[in-house]
Amino acid sequence: MTTDILVLGGGIAGIQSSLDLAEMGFKVHLVESLPSIGGKMAQLDKTFPTNDCAI
Amino acid sequence: MLDVGRHPNIELMAYSELIKLDGKVGDFIATIRKKARFVEADKCTGCGACTEVCPTSVSDLYNEGHAERKAVYSWFAQGIPSTHVLDPDHCRVLTGKRCGICQKKCQANAINFEQTDTLVDLNVGAIVVATGYDIFDPGKMPEYRYTELDNVITAMEFERFLSASGPTAGHIDRPSDRRVKQEIAELSKQLKKSKAALERFEKAHAQDSCDFYKDFAANTLLPGDALVKDADKWAAKYQAHLEIQGPLQALEKRAGKFTTAKKLAFIQCVGSRDLRFYPFCSGYCCMHSIKEAIIAHEHDNDTHSVIFGMDIRAVGKGFEEYKIRGGNKSNIAYTRSRVAEITRGEDDNPVLIYEDTIEQKVIKRAFDLVVLATACAPVKNTRMVADILGIELDRFGFFKTDPAEPLDTTKEGIFVCGCSHSPMDIPESVAQASSAAARAVQAVMKNKKAS
Repeated sequence: MTTDILVLGGGIAGIQSSLDLAEMGFKVHLVESLPSIGGKMAQLDKTFPTNDCAI
Repeated sequence: MLDVGRHPNIELMAYSELIKLDGKVGDFIATIRKKARFVEADKCTGCGACTEVCPTSVSDLYNEGHAERKAVYSWFAQGIPSTHVLDPDHCRVLTGKRCGICQKKCQANAINFEQTDTLVDLNVGAIVVATGYDIFDPGKMPEYRYTELDNVITAMEFERFLSASGPTAGHIDRPSDRRVKQEIAELSKQLKKSKAALERFEKAHAQDSCDFYKDFAANTLLPGDALVKDADKWAAKYQAHLEIQGPLQALEKRAGKFTTAKKLAFIQCVGSRDLRFYPFCSGYCCMHSIKEAIIAHEHDNDTHSVIFGMDIRAVGKGFEEYKIRGGNKSNIAYTRSRVAEITRGEDDNPVLIYEDTIEQKVIKRAFDLVVLATACAPVKNTRMVADILGIELDRFGFFKTDPAEPLDTTKEGIFVCGCSHSPMDIPESVAQASSAAARAVQAVMKNKKAS
């Protein structure tokens, strides 16, 4: 029995899940198929509705 | 992103994929393949010296193919981890040619052409699936001529054009204009070469190529002249020179009139709400079209945008106000219509053919640039991932969930969030991701107590 958690995908959802879990004290393994995390959101210039920078 | 790379509780495995899963909730064994980067992660400092010297250029998918990267690269400038990657399909050494210049240049000795894929077994109690989505390929809709017309692009391509770090440094240069400029650059290079060749002849015979060619064409060269032995070669070079110069001047004249794109059309529901492809609403596209039109207007106040859609679905906190603000302050017109076809007009302008449903008239209208709001499609290899995890997909190809337990997949201990669950925007993805994290904790703690 282990409490480690595997997160598949390092886009905004995977990143948020991983950070939440890590902050709660759980060991997280985050697996991303591309060379860097960030996913589609890292490609975005700004986001709605506040026009904040995506990254 | 930076926090993920730094957090002591997160082990980040980028450039890796799940290949096998055994066990059950509380005690899964997941086999991960760490793909060979050919760059040692513990040595690479991410300085980019290898990228600078790499001689091989490859289409950059991060910029949706509108820029080029090298065969040794980082996915994007601020990427986490910053470790570079060698592209095994394009690297000269890895495709059996001679090179290795990056290895010589790397001061950290991080380049390792011998690296191989490694397998790692992880023992985990629960799994959160957040594999995202793919952008619908608008080439499947012949009526929009996405593959034929340079100036019909997807919203993600437009997003890269808007970005200061993108291929156009934030200027909305039309792809057709960029292609012309590229041709000009290539022809200029050829012209420079041919000029150098002509100069050699001119120096040797102390005569201008133009004057020589006049004599040559009029056949008035004196038989005893030292020129005669070079005459045919010189004339051929001069003819080739003129053949480059003519088209180059024509292209330069065209390029002189180029401006950034000012009249933009956004077409909604490209692939979504379409029974041929995906019947569902992708949810975020109305808003990102408005956002892109607002940003384009911020870049250049002469920009006018028309958003063509069946209806504008601004459902979310602050979204309706955002839509109205765009209409009032950012020169955005919302036209209720489903565009029937896009054809090629003058100056590479796409021409939209659509019915204005208020005027009840079929209208043909030219724009500088057309942006397609493409559907949120399930990732291509979702089926494979589902088979490895042993979970089911819904009829569209997203992971199957129950409305009463919206984050639980069909296998206990595996949860799903974000666009691999269903199309959703960023705030919703973030909210769902936190929920999925909470569900995963519930699953592992329940099992820990039981054991």
